[in-house]
Amino acid sequence: MTVNISNMTRVFDAPDGRIVAVDDLSLTIDDGEFLTLVGPSGCGKTTTLRCVAGLDTPTSGTITVDDRDVTNLPPQERDVALLFQDIALYPHMTVRENMEYGLKIAGVPEDERRESIEEAADLLQIGDQLDKMPASLSGGQQQRVALGRSLVRDPSVFLFDEPMSDLDAKLKRELRPVVQRITDEIGCPVLYVTHDQEEAMTMSDRVAIMDGGELQQAGPPKEVYDEPTNDFVGEFIGQPAMEFFDAHVESANGTAAVALGGHTISLDASADQLEGYVDRDVRVGVRPQHITVADATEGIEAEHVLDEPLGDETHSLFETEYGNVTVVTHADFDGDDGGEYGLVLERSETQLFDPASGVRIF
Amino acid sequence: MSAPTESEQRLSYETRDRLYQVALYGSAALFTFIILFPIYWMVQNAFTDSQAVITEFAWFPSPETVTLENFSVLTAGAVPTYVINTIVVTIGTIVLVVAVSLVAGYGMARFRFKYKESFAQFLLLGYMFSPIVLGLPLYLIWSETGLLNARIGLVIALSAISMPFAVWLMWKYIQTIPESMEESAWIAGASRWRTFWDVVVPQTKPAIVACALFAFAIAWNDFTFAQILLPSQDSTTFAPGIMRLIDQGGYTSWGDIMAVSFLMTIPPLLFAYFLQEYLLKGFEVRTR
Repeated sequence: MTVNISNMTRVFDAPDGRIVAVDDLSLTIDDGEFLTLVGPSGCGKTTTLRCVAGLDTPTSGTITVDDRDVTNLPPQERDVALLFQDIALYPHMTVRENMEYGLKIAGVPEDERRESIEEAADLLQIGDQLDKMPASLSGGQQQRVALGRSLVRDPSVFLFDEPMSDLDAKLKRELRPVVQRITDEIGCPVLYVTHDQEEAMTMSDRVAIMDGGELQQAGPPKEVYDEPTNDFVGEFIGQPAMEFFDAHVESANGTAAVALGGHTISLDASADQLEGYVDRDVRVGVRPQHITVADATEGIEAEHVLDEPLGDETHSLFETEYGNVTVVTHADFDGDDGGEYGLVLERSETQLFDPASGVRIF
Repeated sequence: MSAPTESEQRLSYETRDRLYQVALYGSAALFTFIILFPIYWMVQNAFTDSQAVITEFAWFPSPETVTLENFSVLTAGAVPTYVINTIVVTIGTIVLVVAVSLVAGYGMARFRFKYKESFAQFLLLGYMFSPIVLGLPLYLIWSETGLLNARIGLVIALSAISMPFAVWLMWKYIQTIPESMEESAWIAGASRWRTFWDVVVPQTKPAIVACALFAFAIAWNDFTFAQILLPSQDSTTFAPGIMRLIDQGGYTSWGDIMAVSFLMTIPPLLFAYFLQEYLLKGFEVRTR
């Protein structure tokens, strides 16, 4: 199975005008591929998912599963599975009845139902919970039941709508491999919606970043991290977020350099590569991992604000003429409050963005 | 002479507390007496010899006059018909009210349509009119349509006055059920109707009980509509029926009337007692 979303737009009528929730989105999810749709709230990721599920209908554009056009089909006829944010187990049914419901609707005989439920329950380690009511289970167990409910149906597309956003960090880490095992087991295209970039990075084959209803970039986790197409992706992916500085491009003997904070950083690029940007303003983006703290004589002038020790590393906050800047420092780093430092950007990790469009130019 | 506030202050905390307790329990006892005494009187008379009720006045039943004879009225004359009519009409009203309020409440909770809020407010307009104001036009309409003296006619009228409350309750209750549960069932292949039955209805049990109890109270205790819409002697229900027993002229057997009244009081008490937990749950709006 392959899911193909092409030129999909979804417009909502609101009291104060029209809201374009999804704007001309084209995306393909291959068979067995785990694709994560990530972005801030209101970016259109959930609307996209609901259109694929059949709970919403695109204003224009098409959605196909293999060669079947499902754009206007009701959810009952799509053979998809969806894991909801609020889990949505039926509170008046036992765990077994919850898992059985879809099979019952499909008219699967009872002994077959029993068999596949027990198989799924074993895989999810909830075999001893089958006769309990959902309310008596913990959040993580409920999530496993919901996974099992989808697993037994063997859907042709598996959708996830921020299923872990109500769980605590430890439980999330515990469930991630479970989700991956289950989706591998089914082997169908997976569309996973989340606002948590860490979830997106750790679980996906491919990450698609959305903002303002538009697709910003889609690619493997490493690629979107290393080579963001624009400053939004650069800032959204990666923890702590990428820092940006306004700078000016200069050319010295054919080699490009950027001037910022009274310093010049020469780049691994010739002036020709930055054609059109020489002698113009750009935004420089660097990840906090690639900024080092030095004496006040070097780099960008910075005043130390606070340290957040995490044990293995420390996040230090500085105030500069470009605003607040976070730097990942050594675990033992302990800055003087109000002390003057200099921030040095790692030359090879410096990225350049167009100040108007935000597109990455180097 | 000291000012009243000072004398109040001079009362010790303990005395004031005791006074408060006396006032509290005293007023509670007074109201309980006012409410319960007529019921006591009804029960007492139901078990007292018909002659004795009229000729001798007694606060307490005496062994000589206690009898079960009055209850034989249940098998005499029109009384069994009254009781059966009441039961049939009440059950009919409950079934109709629950069925319609479930569907209407679901529709209001899940579908968007124009002027929904105005429609909901309009529903409540029915409570602005007294039963007699509604009953007389209904009499004219029912007599034209042949629903007069038919139990179904009364069921429709009683359902109509129970409905606004029941629909509101069901609407608000269904709103508390997460829509994702239904969506999950649709995705699993269940039709909207099947989802309604399998997922929504089982979860509205407390609201169903609350609506049923409300309809029960309206139908079981109704006097005005039954009096107007079931004018014939042998088709009417208990409340107007007992009125007619009294009005039959000449000799009124209070013992008989109290015996019937007593028996008709038992079902509401049992209902209220056994279902009160459900009733409270039905009225509370869930947080999840």
